[in-house]
Order: sequence, then structure tokens, then C-alpha cells
Amino acid sequence: MAGLRAVWRLAAGEHWTLVAAVAALFVSALCLYLVPLIPQSVFDAVFGDGSAASAISLRVTGWLGGADALRGAMWRAAAAMVALAALAGVGVHVKTRLAAGAAERVARRMRDRMYDHVQRLPASTLDRIPSGDIVQRCTSDIESMRNWLANQAPEIGRSVLMLLIPLPIMVALDWRMALASIVCIPVMLVYTAVYFRRMGPHFGAKEAAEARMTANVQENLTGIRTVRAFGRADFENARFAGTSGAFRDADARLFRLFANFWASSDLLCFAQQVIVVALGAWLLVQGTLELGAYFYFITVVGMFIWPVRMLGRMAVESGKALAAVARLEEILEKQEERDLDPAGRDAVALARDGAGLAVRFDGVSFAHPGGPKVLDGVSFELAAGQTLGLVGPSGAGKTTIVQLLLRFHEPAEGAITVDGAPLARVPRASIRSVTGTVLQQPFLYSKRLRDNIVAGMEAGAADDARIAAAAGTACIHEAILAFPEGYATMVGEKGLTLSGGQRQRVAIARALVREPRLLILDDALSAVDAHTEASILAALRARAARQTRIIVTHRLSAVVDADLILVIDGGRVIQRGTHAELAQQPGLYRTLWEIQHLSDAELESLDV
Amino acid sequence: MSEVERHDDSRARFSLRVWRPVLARALAHRGAVAGLIGSGMFVAAIETALPLIVGRIVDEARAGERAELAPVLAVYAAVFILFAGGVWLFIECAGRVSTRTADRLRRDCFARLQTLEPAYFDARPTGWLVSRLTSDCSKVSGILPWAMLDFAWCSAIIVGVVTAMFWTNGRLALWALAAVPAMALASAVFQRFLIRAGREARRLSSAMTASYGEMLLGARTTKTLAREEANLAEFQQLSGEMNLWAMRGAVLSSVYMPLMAMLAATAGALVLWHGAGWVLADEKVSLGTLIAFMQFAALFAQPVQELAQRFADILNASSAAERIASLLATEPAIADAPGAQQPQRQAPIEELRFESVDFGYREGVPVLEGFTLTARRGQTIALVGSTGGGKTTIVSLAARFYEPRGGRIAVDGTDLRDVPLAWFTGRIGLVPQVAHLFAGTVRENIRYGRLDATDGDIERAARRVKAHGFIEALEKGYDTEVGEGGERLSTGQRQLVALARAVLRDPQILVMDEATSSIDTATERLVQEGVDELLRGGGGRISFVVAHRLSTIRRADLILVIEKGRIAEQGSHAELLARRGRYWELYTNQFAADREREVLHLKDAAAEATVASLVGDGEGDDA
Repeated sequence: MAGLRAVWRLAAGEHWTLVAAVAALFVSALCLYLVPLIPQSVFDAVFGDGSAASAISLRVTGWLGGADALRGAMWRAAAAMVALAALAGVGVHVKTRLAAGAAERVARRMRDRMYDHVQRLPASTLDRIPSGDIVQRCTSDIESMRNWLANQAPEIGRSVLMLLIPLPIMVALDWRMALASIVCIPVMLVYTAVYFRRMGPHFGAKEAAEARMTANVQENLTGIRTVRAFGRADFENARFAGTSGAFRDADARLFRLFANFWASSDLLCFAQQVIVVALGAWLLVQGTLELGAYFYFITVVGMFIWPVRMLGRMAVESGKALAAVARLEEILEKQEERDLDPAGRDAVALARDGAGLAVRFDGVSFAHPGGPKVLDGVSFELAAGQTLGLVGPSGAGKTTIVQLLLRFHEPAEGAITVDGAPLARVPRASIRSVTGTVLQQPFLYSKRLRDNIVAGMEAGAADDARIAAAAGTACIHEAILAFPEGYATMVGEKGLTLSGGQRQRVAIARALVREPRLLILDDALSAVDAHTEASILAALRARAARQTRIIVTHRLSAVVDADLILVIDGGRVIQRGTHAELAQQPGLYRTLWEIQHLSDAELESLDV
Repeated sequence: MSEVERHDDSRARFSLRVWRPVLARALAHRGAVAGLIGSGMFVAAIETALPLIVGRIVDEARAGERAELAPVLAVYAAVFILFAGGVWLFIECAGRVSTRTADRLRRDCFARLQTLEPAYFDARPTGWLVSRLTSDCSKVSGILPWAMLDFAWCSAIIVGVVTAMFWTNGRLALWALAAVPAMALASAVFQRFLIRAGREARRLSSAMTASYGEMLLGARTTKTLAREEANLAEFQQLSGEMNLWAMRGAVLSSVYMPLMAMLAATAGALVLWHGAGWVLADEKVSLGTLIAFMQFAALFAQPVQELAQRFADILNASSAAERIASLLATEPAIADAPGAQQPQRQAPIEELRFESVDFGYREGVPVLEGFTLTARRGQTIALVGSTGGGKTTIVSLAARFYEPRGGRIAVDGTDLRDVPLAWFTGRIGLVPQVAHLFAGTVRENIRYGRLDATDGDIERAARRVKAHGFIEALEKGYDTEVGEGGERLSTGQRQLVALARAVLRDPQILVMDEATSSIDTATERLVQEGVDELLRGGGGRISFVVAHRLSTIRRADLILVIEKGRIAEQGSHAELLARRGRYWELYTNQFAADREREVLHLKDAAAEATVASLVGDGEGDDA
């Protein structure tokens, strides 16, 4: 029931459409049952002796102009049948169209909503849910919901209406026959519901077998060179015959279960039909049932018995669709980043343009929930236009400092201020839009290179000259022009595969074109050779005063000019100062510097 | 246009030829196919007979012949039981045909893939190939039996009903059939549009899936750029277009289905209109016949609808059938030449020579040009140089993963293309950059190197590369399951297993692509020792190593510095260092990088020492 309420909530705005669909369904079902009433009445009133004809038959023939008139103009009956069938058809059309329309609109809204919601979830939330799981929910769960609204729910409605509508007509015609027409229905409902519930595990077994087979193929193809080098094709074929065969058998078992179900439920339906036909024939012989009514019953029982057979199955399948809806809601309930942002007077928006951003960390500590401290009492102050270098072993906490500044996470202790305002009062979009960040493993969108570079800008805000300038600073302009389609080259899955260094430089251009007040390079030059790195850094230095910079790196030459260098290890600042100061002190910094700048004399002494 | 794009669903053209491989495999199951077609026709015959029986019951009942009625009712009930039996049989047979055809297709495709050269896989994403073996095979073999069944069932119904009607009353039969041409026309027209709408919807649906995937992959980047709104706007275009096509499809169906039902009702009405007149005029048309004919008239809508549906299914699956047919028809580009002969001698390979070899992965983009090298038994050749220089290409050619575009590679003087592929691969051992393990136990993974190895051989191999210690420490030792792709082992442990596998194989030509950087420091040193051991034991073989570790490089007999597809420098470590050239530069950089790694992992190194001593305990009894 909770699931149904959730669907009803998600279908907000479509409620009247759904009500109208039910009404159309009712009209069409009613007409469908009226169609056989015409030949029934004709048989009674025209072919019978007339005296035994039922009230309904007389009324129907009356509408058609009376039995005597019909005798000469049977086309009237035919035309009435076609008219009713047409009306039923229109009803079905309207119902399908309304239900499908509502379902498609709800699905579309849901797809958009999930997309936007997920991309706005905090990084920490996203880290906890496997991305395959989220994609699954956004695609197949929404599809289950759509399918239920468009097909299963109307089908359930139709089955119920198809059963309920003829009941009064049947009772009016002959209550004994009416009762006989529905005796098997309760049995059938219980039977199908139980059968499909029991089949659940077999569906699961088939899916599991298929997953194992798919994993086998995946693994084989990933290691195809190993297979080839070791000449193990036969071994692999035998192994695959096993997993493929297991899937075949699990699938065949399901087919067997379906065969059993359809054959047995067919028998139940037939039993119902035989009961009607036999009892009717007997009553007919006895003379207590008219031919017209008999004809009506044997036609109608075939109309409602088959849909009813599916009701039990659909009840079980509805359970699955409603579970899918619950899974969607589970994601939608999670808080978005903007829900966590300060609002109203609490919010402090940073100026988009201006001098470099002033940044201050005051005893900042951070730990992932339930984990050890990743940062421990980090403090520093960076004036507008200054450069900060962060060095130290991987996993020491350098990236965490950057992430706290971008508000991917919130500090557990201590305070961060930007331009004198507490960062906690700056909305995430605000701090991020004044910042140009290049992450460790930059991501490029499946777009043209040009669109990738302007991905962080308002549409049309950057002209070609500005793009080329940013690409020039990032030392990627020439390389882009060398591609066959230049800036129009597609990258990503369906386009050109760029090398790691090229990707990093495109990402740097993307950060620079925004002319950010704070530039963050998080180990963003690791795949770029030393010479190019030097050119990029020199070009950046020219922008000095307009930009504050944070450079995370392993290559110390990138931070020799920094105003402040922090050496981080185990989440703590173990050394701080300028290059000149640190190069004098014994410690990690100097050791690294010496390794990276071995003198020729030292090199000579290598074990030649 | 690549094959990957060309086989996009939306551009498929229908041709029965592409179904031939699928059909051939389905027809191999003669019994099941016969059962399927037979039961389909049997069910059709019963469905044809039912209105006649009901008509008979009505006539008998009207006549008040109680004695005549009972047997007819008994037949009626018996026919239903037979009908249910027929239904059971055709589902069972359809299941057999479907599952067995799918299995055969998958295995044939899989076997075909095993024979194809690495270049084939370079051009096709793994995920794309996986879909060929899973969803494509399931799709075509899922559709086939139902298409067979329905063609049998529909033709039997049509033939049966038409015969029965004309036999009973020819004039009335014509009226009952009056709506059939209209039904056929409506089906043809609507299905055409429905197929189009279905394809567009599928295309958009996979585009949306890709979009969700990209959104998640780029979530952090999107945050740093604060471009959520632009992303959403782009996605909304997709979902809007999807909505449009889905609605077109829904509206079409919502017209088609009622239209068919109305046509069926029209046929019934036509029968009533004319038939009733004849009944009244007493022209040898009984009321029972009239009722039967009205049922017949309605019966035609279903076969016509089903046939149209099956035809649409086949069209929709044709691109899948085509992809399968093309995979099965792909001939390996690297295969035994017609005259390929196994060398007579059983002696190990003495020499592998590259003779002015040209090679490039793509036409017009050379990677190697005029590359010449002679490798002799007992030699370890280290390849060093900057990335993209062609090192990996050289070892790939040595393993015959690719064929030279110019020049030749000769084994003991014979062109590699003239020796049987199986003979050559039987003498090769590979240690790839990323060790590849298969789901199974550690033991099975090592045994992959030599299938007839005893457990003792396996353990000895593991001890030699210092893998024994960590394996013994695993929960079930050698019988521990490694998981898909070895996921339950660390990268370093996987490397060790791959080394043990190579040792067990004891190849005459060893091809190794060393892992680039520290994988996990805990096993780094063990891997290094394992590599040293593997190369040390190489007195009787030719070893090619794309080397990154200084210890590996120093141990080589011959070092080749590969730059831009050529040998820039070659010689022993000492010779090359003395030259102060490119090697010197690379070596000093590497030296600094190794030292740096050491410093930056100071704390880890302590842990590593502990692990090493722990693992070392297992080595003691190896003497």
C-alpha cells in the first residue's frame, strides 16, 4: 500500500488524466459487453418464438425497431454492432493514450529529477553508492514504474472492469448461469498468485546464471592476450560451455515452469467454459433458458476469463514495480548539496570578479565518518594573489585540504575563511564558481574540445580568442590545432582518446578560461613532461596578482616560487616555509629536493 | 565508419540472409522444432474445430435432443484437455529450441573470438563484444521459436478456418473474410511506423543510460565547474526527445489495437446481417452455423495481428542477427599459412630475428620502421624508452599478437608466418603489465601455465617466485578462490601468481611487460625478487622485457633504448651509461623516481619489511 501511495505521489499532476483513463476504460468495456447482446437479442426475438424472449432481448430489439422490422432489415443489427464496437475502440484508444501519456510524462519528470538530484548529491553520498546501482535505478527502475503505469495498472483495471461490468447483465439474464460463469475465478486468482510467487526464486536463479556467464565472457575478453599467449582456447571454450550451459538449463527450467503454468491455467479457464456450455445446454434442453441468453453467456465467459487469469500474475509483478518505486524514493530522500547550503541572510556570496581570493585555515581537522583523522590541525593563511604549495607522500591529506576548500566535505574541527567570511556561510555554488580546479584525474565530457573548455562558463561567455588564450597558457593550443578537426574534435567514448597529459592540459585550459580568483592544481601536471610543466607554470606566474593559487605536486620545481609551502604527512603539517627556508632545513623536503636535483657528481657515483 | 557504429540498431536493413546462422543452429534440434510446429498446428486445428462443436451443441440443444447432446459435450471437454496438452508441448518445445540455440550460438561465437587476433579486440570495446554474446544471442534465439510457432499456428488457423467455412457455406465464408484484407493492410502500415518509433526509443534510451553514466563519472568535475544546470538542460533535451518518440509509439498502438478489434467486429456484423437473412429464409443455414461463423469472423483478427507482430520482432532483431552472423564469419587474420610446417627438430628455439620490420596499428601511422634485432637463446633483452616509443609493440610482435606490415620475423631462420601458430604459442610465456587472473582457485590460475602440472610442480613454481608465502597465508591456501579477475587478491599478489604461472610454463620465449609503478608497497619487493628469479632461471630461453625497474634493467644482457620506433642506443648497462646518452638520461630519472618513491613511502616501507619477514618464513623449507 505504501508503494501505491508513493506512485500516486509521483504521478502528481496526472491524477485527473488517470481518472479519465479509467472512465474511458469503463465505456469501452461496457460497449464490448453490449456487442454480443445484439445477436443474443436477435436470436431470442427474431428466431425464437418470441414469447419466451427475455425483457432485455425485447428492449434491445425494440431499440432496433422491433423484431418484425428487424426480420426485414438485419443490417440495423449489424450496424448497431459495428457502432458499439467502434465506441469500444474509441474508448480503448482514449484510455491507452491517456494512460501512456501520463506514464510517459511521469517517467520523463522522474528521469530529469533523478538526473538533477544525483548530480547535486554531496560527493560523500555518491562515494557510498556504487555508480552501477544508481544507473540501474535511473534506467530500469524508472522503466518498471513507467511500464506499470502505462500497461500493468490499466490492465489490472481492465481485468477487474471486464469481470464486474457483465455481472449485472448476466444476473439479469439468468442468475444460475451467472453464478456458474464465475465459480472458477477465485480458484484461478489464488492459483496464479501462488504460482508466480513460487516462481520468483527461479527467475533469480536464471539471472544469477546469466550474470555468471556474462562475467565469464568479460573476464575472458579482458585476458584474451593471456589466453592466446598460453594457447588456452580449448580450456576457455570448455569453461564457457559450463557457464553457458548452466544459463541454458536455468532458462529451460523457467520455460518448463511456464509451460506447466499456461497449460494448467488453460485447463482452469476451459473448465469454466465447459461448465457454462454444459449447464447452459442442459437448461436449454429443459427449456428454462433461452437461446439468446445461452449465446450471450458462452460469448461473455470467454471475454472475462482470460484477462482474469492474468490478474494473479499481475499482482505479483506489480509488487516488483512498486519495489522499484521505493528504490527511487530512497535516492530522492537523500539530501542535495543545495539543501545543506546556508540560505537567506546567512548566505555570503563571493564576488565573481576581483583580486585573488584570500584563504585562511585555522586548526582544521577532518575525518570520514567512523574513520581515523585524515587532517589534523592544519592552519595557514594565504593572502590575495599568493601561491601555496602542498607536498608530501600520497595519502597524506593534501587533496583533502583542497576538497574542504571546495566544500566537498565539511571540517570536523577548526574554521576556514575566504575573503574574511566563514566558508560555512558561503554557498557551494559560490565558492566553486570563483575557483578553477583541476583534479588529479581530470574528467572530460563527451563533447567537442571547445565545448569541454567552456564547460564551466555561461553559454556564449567565452569567445574564440579567450579560449585560444587559455589553451595557449595550458600549452595545448598547438596540439588541438594539429587534430584533424581542431577545436571541433570530439573527445570521450565516441571520439578521440587523449593521452593523460593532453587531458590534464585541456582541464587546465578549462579552469583558466573562467579566469578564477582561486586556481587549484591538484597534482594536475603529473602526466605532463617537465619542460611543458615549466612553460605552463611560467605562463601562470604572469597572471600573478589576479589569482590565488594552490598547487599540489610531487615535483618540487613546481613550487619553488610559492609564497608558502606546506609539507604534509599523516594529516599534519610537518614543515612549512618558502623553498629557500625548507631547502636549508633537514627533513622530507630537502631529501626530496636532493633526489630530484642530483648533481652530476652524484650521478657519476651511481654503480657504473 | 567502424563496425561498432555501423551496427547501430537504428540503421538496420532487413535481409533474411543474416538469419541463416541462427536458423541453421535452431533447425539442428529437429525433434523440438517438429514438436513446436506440430503442436502449433494441432492447437490451431482445435481452435478451428471449437466453433463448429459449439455450433453443433447449440443445434442439438435447440432440437431438444438430450441423448445426442451428451457425447458432443464430452468431445467438447476432451478437446480442451488436448488443447492444454498442445499448449504445454509448444511452450516446452519453444523453450528447448530457444535455450539450446542460444547456447550453441554463444559457444560458437565465443570459440570464434578465441581464434581472433588481438587487433580485432583493439578495435572493439570489451563491453560491446560482451553484448554480442549475451543480449544479441538471447534476443535472436528468443524470437525465433515464437516466430516459427506463430507462422505454423497462423497458417494452420487460416487454412483450417477458410476450409471449414467454405466447406460449410461458401457465400457466408466470403462475408466472414471480408475484413481480412483491411486487417492485413492496417497491420502492415502500423507496424512499419511502430518499428521506427521503437528503434528511436531504444536509441534514445541507450543515450540516456550513457548520459547517466557520464554524469556519475564526472560528478566531481561538474561540482568544481558548478555546471549542474547546463548538464540538466542537455539531459532534458534527450529525455524530451525520448518522450516524443515514446508517445508516438503509444499513440500508434492505441489506434492500431482498437482498429483491429473493430474490423473483427465488423466481420461478425457482416455475417449476422447476411447470415440471419438466410437462416430466416431457411436457405440451409442453421442457427448453429451462423453462431460458428460469427466466431470464425472474430478469430481472424488474432492471426493477422500475431503475424504482423512476429514480423516486426524479426525486423527489430535483424541487426542483432547481422552482428552475430558477421562475428561468426570473421576469419582470423593471423592463422596458419597453407604450407605451415612444424619444424622437424625438437630442440629449443635458438634465435628470434626481426628483419627490417615495419609495423603500425593503423594504416599510415607507423610505430616501427625498419626494426632489426637478433635475440639468441639465453639472452635477456630489456626494452626501455619513453612511452609511445614502441616497446610494447616489439614484444607483442615477438609473441605474434600482430603481423609485421613489412619485413619479417624469423624463428631459427623460418618466417614466423610459416610455422604453425599452435606450435609457436606452445613455446611462449607471457607476463602482462596488468596480471590477468581468472575466477577460480590460486592453484588453477597457476596451472594455467601448464595444464598437466602436478600440485607439487605448482608449489615449486610458486616458491621460486616467492609467491608461496602469501598463498599459504590465504584462508584456504592454494585452494582460495581469487574472484572475478582475481579481485580478492591485491595487484601485487596477482603479479606474483602471474609470475608463478610463467615459471611453471618454462617457455622458450618469455615476453614480459613489467608493471609501471609501485603497485602496493607491501608486495613490491616480492614482485621484484620474483621477476629477478624468473629472469635468472632463463639460461635456456629468450626473454623480452619491457623494463621499468632498475634491477630488472641492470640484469639484462642487452638493453635496447627504443625511441620513435627505432633502436636509439643498445648495449650492456655499463656500456650505455658510459655513453652519457639517452639511456643515461632515462636511468638517472628512473633512479631519482625510485628513490623518491622510497622516501615518500617511508612508513609503508616499515610495514613492508614486516610482511617480507613474515612471508620469508614460508621460504625456509624450500632447500
